Amino acid sequence: MALLELSGITAGYDKNIILKDFNLSVEKGEFVSLLGSSGCGKTTCLRLIAGFSEPMAGTMTFDGKDYTHVPLHKRNFGFVFQSYALFPHLTVFDNVAFGLKMRKMDKETIRKEVMHMLEVVDLKGFENRFPREMSGGQRQRVALARALVIKPDLLMFDEPLSNLDAKLRVKMRVEIRRLQQELGFTAIYVTHDQEECFAISDKVAIMNKGVIEQMDTPSEIYNRPKTEFIARFVGFENFFDLERTGECTFKTKHGVTIRTEKDHAASATLKGCIRPGDVTVAPAGADLPNAISGKVMVSTFLGQHNQLNVATDIGEFVVSCDQTQVFPVGETVTLSLAANKIILID
Amino acid sequence: MSRKKNLLGMLLVVPGVLFVVFFMLVPLFSLCLTSFFPQQSFSFSSYWGLFKDVYFQQVFMRSMRLSLLSTFVCALLGFPTAYYISKHSKHKGMMMAFAVFPMFTSPVIRSFSWMVILGKRGIVNNFLVAIGLFAKPQSLLYNEFSMTVGFVQLFLPQMILSLIGVMDNIPDDLTLAAGNLGAGRLRSFFEVVFPLSVSGLVTGSVLVFTGCMTAYTTPQLLGGADTRVLSTMVYQYAMSLRDWTQASVVAVVMIVVTMLVSSVFNTVSKKVNPIA
Repeated sequence: MALLELSGITAGYDKNIILKDFNLSVEKGEFVSLLGSSGCGKTTCLRLIAGFSEPMAGTMTFDGKDYTHVPLHKRNFGFVFQSYALFPHLTVFDNVAFGLKMRKMDKETIRKEVMHMLEVVDLKGFENRFPREMSGGQRQRVALARALVIKPDLLMFDEPLSNLDAKLRVKMRVEIRRLQQELGFTAIYVTHDQEECFAISDKVAIMNKGVIEQMDTPSEIYNRPKTEFIARFVGFENFFDLERTGECTFKTKHGVTIRTEKDHAASATLKGCIRPGDVTVAPAGADLPNAISGKVMVSTFLGQHNQLNVATDIGEFVVSCDQTQVFPVGETVTLSLAANKIILID
Repeated sequence: MSRKKNLLGMLLVVPGVLFVVFFMLVPLFSLCLTSFFPQQSFSFSSYWGLFKDVYFQQVFMRSMRLSLLSTFVCALLGFPTAYYISKHSKHKGMMMAFAVFPMFTSPVIRSFSWMVILGKRGIVNNFLVAIGLFAKPQSLLYNEFSMTVGFVQLFLPQMILSLIGVMDNIPDDLTLAAGNLGAGRLRSFFEVVFPLSVSGLVTGSVLVFTGCMTAYTTPQLLGGADTRVLSTMVYQYAMSLRDWTQASVVAVVMIVVTMLVSSVFNTVSKKVNPIA
């Protein structure tokens, strides 16, 4: 059984429902990211797990126990806030010690634990500073230490890196991943940054309008998106309707035959999609597999390659081609879709 | 360029500075001067004379007692009110308007209202007699009780406003963080909300205390001849007895005491919240 299990959760404010019949399960030791654009419900979900709010319906179990109505201060979960939420009137030491004090540990143990944790996050010597005397990255690490020192059963991150500059962001996410693998805690991480969450997580749950569209390993999501939303999210730009004619063979509504390497379910009509880089552009009439003809509408210079917008019978295609190939606007071209790169979705 | 800017900046300050110098600092200085020159030469004699005067001692203690008590009651009533308005109220604007509303009426009218309410045939006495707590109406007016009631009603809005201003700046994430780290509601209130509100409490307390010390109409109308305070004493010396030296001495004492008490409030707050 999973460590954390949310089932049938409905949550929101007044009449504004944000999560509806929401399910999520997280295994012990896993690093799971919730990814989605703002307003998709990922932060609501995280705050619900932390106990900052209660669901209108549904249950949450943790380690086999019903946690739905356990008050937040009895959950032993760590939380790293987007704003860090450090106590401004307390020193770094007292900030980190706060959770241990609440657990009524004796002074000497607290001192030892806090100093050890400050060493882990590389903040030794800063214990007497106040949060306002520190930089963003340092505050971030104080927040991390404060959440880690209580040895939480589950650690939650709410866009913890979004207030840092790009360089520091990359450094800190490596740091967080290192700590997670070293200490082996279970983590749920909320972000809207795709690269960040692919780099850091064991599993990514992509959310859209209050539901998880797909939850898988980063590579699975990148290579085998299950819905059009996910496909668009991870860089697929060309979508076309297909009708099944046999095993791995399909035809478009204009009768062009398309072969794919892998098949998907048994449905008669489905959708194919492909990334711009996986389409080959050739002069009109070229004899290529999965060929579709079209007319160049726009050509955009993008540095490493050119991006062409090509109008075809089955919709507009965005493709990228080598700079050595020149296809002026208005020319007719042949597009070849790599059979092993076409992804089929329902 | 920057020099020119500086000069312009200084010019902008001039009218305000002139006003303060001529209408506050100079009179204040001359007030002090008067108090130290009872006759033609410099002497502390008027101070010693006053401090030894048993009547003054009584009035001084009464002023301190009433002001501190009113400040304490304002803090006690104002803190939960401000906390509710700032953190839990859905109609914050309206609640704040209610809190401030009494300030739109003059202290004179408010004092008269209390005279009606607390009088021998006022609503409070009627109620107390009706429920059988007392056989006949009690005298609730012209004593320290009625003065405290008047002070609290007069200055409570200032306490509430000072506190709301500070509490609004405490992010909700901080209380959530405290809870997440294992603090129950009460604990997170005393560990986080209270220390971070102390600066507002101090500002409010200084305002209320100073207000109570210097208020004139309220103690004059709600207190009697037997419950004189420092401000009414100044008036008595200056207007009835025409003793300007003695009036100045009392005024200087009031200023010094107010400043001392304010600095004590500040020191205490630094202990609770070192960054405030």
